[in-house]
Amino acid sequence: MNLEVKIGKMTMKNPVTTASGTFGYGSEYAEFVDLNLLGAVTVKGISLEPREGNPPPRIYETPCGMLNSIGLQNVGLKNFLDEKLPYLKGFDTRIIVNILGNTIDEYCELSSALDGKVDAIELNVSCPNVKKGGVLFSNNNDMLRTLIKEVRTTVKTSTVIVKLSPASADIVMQARICEEVGIDAVSMINTIPAMAIDIHSRRPRLSNIIGGLSGPAIRPIGVRMVWETHRAINIPIIAMGGIMTAEDAMEYILAGATAVAIGTANFVKPTVTLDIIEGMKKYMLIHGIDDINSLIGGLIC
Amino acid sequence: MEVIDNREITDNVFILRLELTENALKPEPGQFYLLRPDSGYDPLLGRPFSAFRWNNDWIEFLIRKTGRGTALLSTFRPGDHIRILGPLGRSFPPHSPHKTPVVLAGGIGMASVYSLTLKHKAEHIFIYGAKSATELLLTEDIRPRVRELYLCTDDGSMGFQGNVVEFFTEFLKKTSSHSIVVYACGPEKMTKSLMEILKKYNIESYLSLEERMACGLGACMGCAKDTKTGMKRVCMEGPVFNIEEL
Ligand SMILES: Cc1cc2nc3c(=O)[nH]c(=O)nc-3n(C[C@H](O)[C@H](O)[C@H](O)COP(=O)(O)OP(=O)(O)OC[C@H]3O[C@@H](n4cnc5c(N)ncnc54)[C@H](O)[C@@H]3O)c2cc1C
Ligand SMILES: Cc1cc2nc3c(=O)[nH]c(=O)nc-3n(C[C@H](O)[C@H](O)[C@H](O)COP(=O)(O)O)c2cc1C
Ligand code: FES
Repeated sequence: MNLEVKIGKMTMKNPVTTASGTFGYGSEYAEFVDLNLLGAVTVKGISLEPREGNPPPRIYETPCGMLNSIGLQNVGLKNFLDEKLPYLKGFDTRIIVNILGNTIDEYCELSSALDGKVDAIELNVSCPNVKKGGVLFSNNNDMLRTLIKEVRTTVKTSTVIVKLSPASADIVMQARICEEVGIDAVSMINTIPAMAIDIHSRRPRLSNIIGGLSGPAIRPIGVRMVWETHRAINIPIIAMGGIMTAEDAMEYILAGATAVAIGTANFVKPTVTLDIIEGMKKYMLIHGIDDINSLIGGLIC
Repeated sequence: MEVIDNREITDNVFILRLELTENALKPEPGQFYLLRPDSGYDPLLGRPFSAFRWNNDWIEFLIRKTGRGTALLSTFRPGDHIRILGPLGRSFPPHSPHKTPVVLAGGIGMASVYSLTLKHKAEHIFIYGAKSATELLLTEDIRPRVRELYLCTDDGSMGFQGNVVEFFTEFLKKTSSHSIVVYACGPEKMTKSLMEILKKYNIESYLSLEERMACGLGACMGCAKDTKTGMKRVCMEGPVFNIEEL
């Protein structure tokens, strides 16, 4: 049975990775998950300098989902390279590093510092461009194109993935732009902007007022977006959004994903990534499938 | 883990006893667990609860119903299964033999500091407050385990009329602040006003703080609290903090 998939130059032993921001830097879950068994580990978004993030409260649970406004708290590039990366290198798994910047230059500096040291660089483009008055890169196709072109020319060795936001006006168009520019793969979906109110105090549930919705509540939206995107592009898709079980992962693969990332589910059950890999094998066995690649985009309609 | 027992002790507080497997790590006072039903996605995330009492075979949690998650946990019956993750976080550090440990518990915060009295026999001064007498829990169980027990109620229906911090302020007038070490857990309001006094008198103290949590493992950064040295995760660097960090 073959579970191996290819994302750009990166070969994953199975299609399962972790969603950025939900698995720390890998070590936090090592007590529960043998990291060697994962197709890849995707780490928390890294910025040039460490970030403190937003004030609490930062999370709030909603029906079958959760809001977060962590504010991209992270250890920064230097600490990541000195401490977190050497740890991850000790495992036989692929390393995907999610990055975020305030300017195109910052993304390029991060990319060139990581190029060749990690298997893949995933650009979180749902960040405000400070030079353009804080407009999200993901909200403007021209800005997005300029950004990812620059990063594309900067990165020579590692695979480049662009993480798309479900809040952008046209996610399919953005995936097309990625393909045109020569990006290796897209990942989708990031969290969906959302909010909740405490009606008694009349205050927002999160200090940042707006947060990102994740978890099973968003899965059908993710599946729809992956399916629409898969029909429009030929580069691989890493799918995420509410995957809790192997069945959920298979749904995304049939919709057109080459790999899947597990996010919020890690909070619900720390060993869930391994359960999902085993469950996918079982599905293949039951359906007599030899190669997972034969199922990608296998939706019959 | 299997539910062994679930007992209501007041209208909205219950003690949930869960089986502990043989090789399960035992908690230290102040540590906590994330609890959630074994199936379903609503509620989704585990809820944090302090280790209340335990032995080799079981662990108990003292839980107050405040919302959906706790209301659901209150319905679990013997034989049902609950997913638990823990022990998590940092515990209350042991005190120096030269100092008298003073425990301050406000409301359900008692759950987190109660186990201190199990480890060190009858040497604690225990100050415990709640809104009214009916909300002061297990006082007769605590009494023989501590050197002195002081009860406070906001409405004066039992013990000192006023809150724990008001009582403690009076208590300090008769006590040398350098001869005691304080262990405290209570609602945010209590912690805030308590901190002012503890800092003013420069008392060695350890406070257990609360924040909403998702992973409990230091991965999601959801439970951050602002400290002197930046954002700290309540699930990893806490829930017990040395007051010097705050
Ligand atoms: C380290 C730690 C130890 C705790 N130990 C105990 C314990 O031993 N016994 C006990 O009864 N409670 C304890 N709590 C509080 C308990 O976790 C919350 O009451 C519980 O999560 C509420 O869940 P819910 O679904 O019922 O409430 P929700 O419906 O989610 O919310 C109801 C109310 O509870 C508050 N709340 C929600 N989550 C938390 C949280 N993580 N911390 C504090 N308040 C919260 C909300 O702000 C709201 O006011 C502890 C909290 C922490 C962080
Ligand atoms: C607490 C938390 C932190 C996150 N941090 C990041 C991040 O740093 N960078 C990023 O690109 N996405 C981040 N995400 C989004 C996830 O990677 C993922 O796209 C999203 O949660 C949907 O998947 P899920 O429903 O399986 O969680 C975060 C999500 C959560 C819940
Ligand atoms: S709950 Fe995730 S870091 Fe503390």
